[in-house]
Amino acid sequence: MRRIEPLCLIALTAALLLLSCGRHYDVRPYGTGTDRTSLLFPDYQDVTIPCNIAPANFYYTDPEGSRFTTKFSCGDVSVTVKGREVIWKERQWTGLLEAASGGDIEVESSYRKDGAPVSWKWSIHVDGDPVDQYLTYRLIEPGFEVWDDLEIIERNLGNFDTRVISDFRHTGNRCMNCHIHSQGRGDLSMFYLRGEGGGAILNRGGTLRKLTLRDSAMISPTVYGEIHPEGRFGVFSTNIIIPAMHSAGGLRMEVFDKASDLCVADFDGNRMMTFPETAREDVMETFPVFSADGRYVYYCTAPALPLPAEIDRLMYSLVRIPFDPVTGALGSPADTVWSAAATGKSVCHPKTSPDGRWLLFTVADYGTFPINHKECDLCMIDLASGKIIDLSAVNDDKSDTYHSWSSNSRWFVFASKRGDGLYGKPWFSHVSPDGTVSKPFLLPQKNPHFYDTMLRSFNVPDLGNSPVGFDAEAIGHMLEDVTAEQFE
Amino acid sequence: MKRKGGRIILVLLAAAALTAGLSQCVFLARYPYFRKLAALNGISLKEARKAWGRPDKTSELIMGMVVEADRENWPKVSALAAEKDLKSEIGTYYYNLANAMQDRLPDRLMDYYQPFERGLFLPVGPSSTPFRIACAGDVWFALGYMPLAERDAMLGLLFSPAHTGPRYLRRLAECNLVSGDSEAASKYLRILLNDPSERDWARERLPGNWRPDYQLRIAEKRNLAPRFDLVHGMDQAQLVLRILLSSNATNKTALDYLLCYDLLTKDLDAFIADYDPSLTASHLYEEAMLIFLAAKGGMTQENFVHYHISEATFNSFNRFVTIYKRDGGNARNLTAEFGKSYWYYFYFAERNEKN
Repeated sequence: MRRIEPLCLIALTAALLLLSCGRHYDVRPYGTGTDRTSLLFPDYQDVTIPCNIAPANFYYTDPEGSRFTTKFSCGDVSVTVKGREVIWKERQWTGLLEAASGGDIEVESSYRKDGAPVSWKWSIHVDGDPVDQYLTYRLIEPGFEVWDDLEIIERNLGNFDTRVISDFRHTGNRCMNCHIHSQGRGDLSMFYLRGEGGGAILNRGGTLRKLTLRDSAMISPTVYGEIHPEGRFGVFSTNIIIPAMHSAGGLRMEVFDKASDLCVADFDGNRMMTFPETAREDVMETFPVFSADGRYVYYCTAPALPLPAEIDRLMYSLVRIPFDPVTGALGSPADTVWSAAATGKSVCHPKTSPDGRWLLFTVADYGTFPINHKECDLCMIDLASGKIIDLSAVNDDKSDTYHSWSSNSRWFVFASKRGDGLYGKPWFSHVSPDGTVSKPFLLPQKNPHFYDTMLRSFNVPDLGNSPVGFDAEAIGHMLEDVTAEQFE
Repeated sequence: MKRKGGRIILVLLAAAALTAGLSQCVFLARYPYFRKLAALNGISLKEARKAWGRPDKTSELIMGMVVEADRENWPKVSALAAEKDLKSEIGTYYYNLANAMQDRLPDRLMDYYQPFERGLFLPVGPSSTPFRIACAGDVWFALGYMPLAERDAMLGLLFSPAHTGPRYLRRLAECNLVSGDSEAASKYLRILLNDPSERDWARERLPGNWRPDYQLRIAEKRNLAPRFDLVHGMDQAQLVLRILLSSNATNKTALDYLLCYDLLTKDLDAFIADYDPSLTASHLYEEAMLIFLAAKGGMTQENFVHYHISEATFNSFNRFVTIYKRDGGNARNLTAEFGKSYWYYFYFAERNEKN
């Protein structure tokens, strides 16, 4: 009997271990009628990406395919990846991005199916405009107004690094609402910690404050809103929010306001201001934001109706009123920017680009809860000409909403439920100076199967040009040790 | 000497391992449903103990009902529920559901503890435990109301120890297959296909792989679905049952649930409005009708015929009323003979708000 050399035995064991470590993913179901209709996931075919984005890892979805080969080339640079999963080495990816900046990466995909070759060519356009380096989002399970183990994450878009900026571990598992930057500034942002001991956490230049943004005239604590570009004021809505269910399968939860008004917070004077024009009982006002120059407030408004009986007639128009950046006063009258009566649709979530050129918002058939409305699409107005921009390349057959601008106004991110229709994921589109908007791409992940098993939504993805100057520990300290400042 | 010491240590270690192994075997033999429910939640026994505490006979019984309900093994659920009167909402909830699925909900309703409507629909609210929330959707799935079945499966997933688990993923996949949302279903089927213990289940539900019996199951569930859209509150069980019935009057399970809901809440006006004796029958409904007819002066032969009230039930009611009046409303002499009648429940059952 031949004796096996110890060295061979070790090598054999190592090889077996390596083989057993390689995870084989079952990629089914795929194709028409599933959430994986493209041959690639994420589908990076013919998208535009920024010159500073993390490696676009993906996998081929055809379960019957084998011997996958992908060749990327740009000028003299060429990279070939073999296998179903295309996972980049960071250095190779960066080299290719640099070579392709302002141009295209040409790609040849090929594999074998039923013994026959399948091949096709596609490209990725690399735009020279960078996207803001940081993205914050709340990770939340679609939970019908309840929550558990919430986290707000800050992701570095240039790589796969993430940082927790607030979480359930440091806050006693309490509810926290999404984090928003003012015009993409990492040094000017806020979010809410709800419940006892909570408040609005305001980040101005890395200094944190905990605020109770409520006075006796308001119908509820502040809900939606934005910080003025100069940082002194914030405009907010106050909403009595009612959750409800649709009886038809697939429509899921509907949320509507029983009442809603607007208010302004003066962060320097610790006072809340309400105004007769935006506090009427017969009219609802919500989703206020500032214009880029801070001289107007855009918001959505609808006449009050008996709800939920007439929910399908509840349609919000988009209007604009003057704002005085010295006193914080909302003026009047309101100008209609987009009319619900004229279009038969309902507007939510207006957001102006930081350069003041574009106004991006979502349009649904009715109501004020677009994330469960499959028909909900993004819509954009050129504020210079008043023209509606064609976003057919951006929108899909599921809810597209909760968008935010990069501080250079060349990119926006939005949460889309395309695919499974249940879990929001962050998608990015480029806006060129002439208003051409690119086919969006999905936020790259280190493991291309990441989204397959993800059971949480990326809620309100928001771009920032620098990291926010705090972390979850600092938020835990704010909750435990800092008394909320009262507003009058 | 040194060798002997080593041997002793080895023997001791082996004995300790054997004892631990035996102890684990005894534990698993004593609490098989605890282990099965842990598997359905995708967690280890250690994690299950941390999440649910150490099992006892009562929790094992309830977990048994949950596991057998997950398999839709309704006779077994009934058998487990009948083993011990747990006087618990969740135990009654599964007992009622199992009886309904065997088409005997009204006939058995008064045979065991009824915590009013909370034995039909588990309330989902801030005070509900994660365990209870995870069970709340089973009745909606059985009734064919996918919006709330999906909601409760989502909540079950959300509050489950590992935020995952086949129990919830399977239900979410099936809710969406029934609703015709194959894109949403594919999300869950893909996850299950990558779980070795769930692979076969998921494979059989992939588009194009459905066997005739599964096609029939989905068709039956779809037949129960509402035909129109109405926006309603999160906890309007009565309204949801009426939505189901207005879309499909032959949904007898929904009809019995609605009538039993009316009766458990002692809302006889609602019962009269909802009751059609040509669609369902039970001695429970006869008993309830007699209270109503007696109160409204409708004790006529015509009504007895219309509502299928038998002479025996009528005589029994007369006897109940006679004793009730004779004893001044005292239950003492009624319990033995009428303790399992609706009359007894109607006059003597009181809400326990602590539950």
